[in-house]
Amino acid sequence: MPPGIWSGTLSFGLVAVPVRMVSATRDLDVRFHQVDAETGERVQIRRFCEAEDKEVAWEDIGRGYDLDGQLVTLTDDELEAAAPERTHTIEIEEFVNLDEIDPAQFDHPYYLVPSSESEGTTRAYQLLRDAMASTNQAAIGRVVLRSNEYLVAVREHDELLALTTMLFADELRDSETIDAVPTGSSGEPKRGEVTEAAKLIDAMTRDFDAASYEDHYRERLLELVDSKRRSKKKRAKLPEVEVAEPEAAPDLMAALRQSLERARADQ
Amino acid sequence: MWNGTVAFGEVVFPVKLYSIVQERRVRFREVHLADGGKIAHRRFGSESGEEIPGDRIRKAYEISEGNQVLLDDEEIAAARGPNTKVIGIEHFVPADQIDPLYYDKPYVLGAQDGGEHAYRVLHAALDKTGKVGIGRFMLRTREQLVALGAHEQALRLYTMRFADQIVSSGDLEMPALSRKPTARELAMAERLVETLEQTWEPARYEDRHRQAVMALIEQKAKGEELQVPEVREPEETPDLIAALEASLAGRPRRRKAAAGTGKGPLRDATKPKSKPKASSR
Repeated sequence: MPPGIWSGTLSFGLVAVPVRMVSATRDLDVRFHQVDAETGERVQIRRFCEAEDKEVAWEDIGRGYDLDGQLVTLTDDELEAAAPERTHTIEIEEFVNLDEIDPAQFDHPYYLVPSSESEGTTRAYQLLRDAMASTNQAAIGRVVLRSNEYLVAVREHDELLALTTMLFADELRDSETIDAVPTGSSGEPKRGEVTEAAKLIDAMTRDFDAASYEDHYRERLLELVDSKRRSKKKRAKLPEVEVAEPEAAPDLMAALRQSLERARADQ
Repeated sequence: MWNGTVAFGEVVFPVKLYSIVQERRVRFREVHLADGGKIAHRRFGSESGEEIPGDRIRKAYEISEGNQVLLDDEEIAAARGPNTKVIGIEHFVPADQIDPLYYDKPYVLGAQDGGEHAYRVLHAALDKTGKVGIGRFMLRTREQLVALGAHEQALRLYTMRFADQIVSSGDLEMPALSRKPTARELAMAERLVETLEQTWEPARYEDRHRQAVMALIEQKAKGEELQVPEVREPEETPDLIAALEASLAGRPRRRKAAAGTGKGPLRDATKPKSKPKASSR
């Protein structure tokens, strides 16, 4: 059970639902810690003030911002003043059609779970969840996490209220500003080519099964750890994987047709 | 940021990868409050208490308590797998079968010289079929599972989360949900959702907090004292039907204008109405 990150109230009109926020992801990355190669002892990070070369306690550390050459320092408490009202409330500002939101704006996913077992709470929770599911709407609001305000979208997922923090529109680069994205009527693909490519795509299509994909990187790191533990040697090496770099096909149509034949033969 | 090729079937074309996220949060650095001195992170042995020179630091993986394996950077690099410059598409799936929870970071592909035509054919075919290609490639230090689809005029690529990284409802301790909402409650809630419905216009939402934080910084720079607000405790709704009725009747706190301009709440941000106490600093 992941720890709660935030708890407060989700409010929707005059309906208030006390909820707890938990991460919808778990960190399965292979994590290393730093050690001293000579003694094997673990490294501990200590914070030093560069001005006086003295160790500084955590509570004596603040946040510094360089404002046109002037260093401004704020305490965490002072920073809270930037969002006093919203610290423990997610107020739903409006609902939007879920399909209209570009998923690129979604940042980190969380779930909201009712924070009490009282009937009032669990029913209000279900009500909001079911009303959004039946209308395919997502609720848009804001929340303050670790003294940063986030725009959030709340929707129904897996019988829960799922919340995702969002990037603001100006934090997402418009692909129209990327010159390397080819556009314009002159280079438009021919209908026959698109049809052929669509056929190839269809022939290579299957249902999405998230569980069928394994994290090779994680597996290989764990393999490395394991081989090192067993061999006790100074160096462990995984077999190198040779991969041939493919070359661009000169004739697109021929490449599409050839691929299609192969994809159909594989099925 | 990355040059390589896309390969699906026998079709191969050269591309460039662009990150499209540019975070604009106000970034701070750690400082010593007493004198504004910069904070340096220094490494010490957790037992000996002695400072450790940088060239003696290694990565270690803890197999069990007190039992660890030391690894050097070359070994870890070898485990990353082949550093090919190819986004190899293994197969395609219908785009609407992928819940956005699986999408991690978004990127856009551009075409390199000579790749424009095949780029546009793949783009048009993905757009037409509503499918996305699933493949893998090495991005920086890690092999990533990726989804490649058409978004507007561009090929959009997402790195993906693996299924076991996603928490499901069965993994969570949920309080027993009491009896379901009644049909009447649900109908009222749906109506309330509809009255608050808007067309999604992402540019209408400004980062008011970014502005408020900058305002605080400027206030502090002028030597003004900042007020530290108190926080109100959450309350639950005692009467669900009454709250729904009142919400529908009053449609209170419609904040269309505030969302657009970012004004009202921003102005209040540094002057909380709830009992303020003076900052300790």
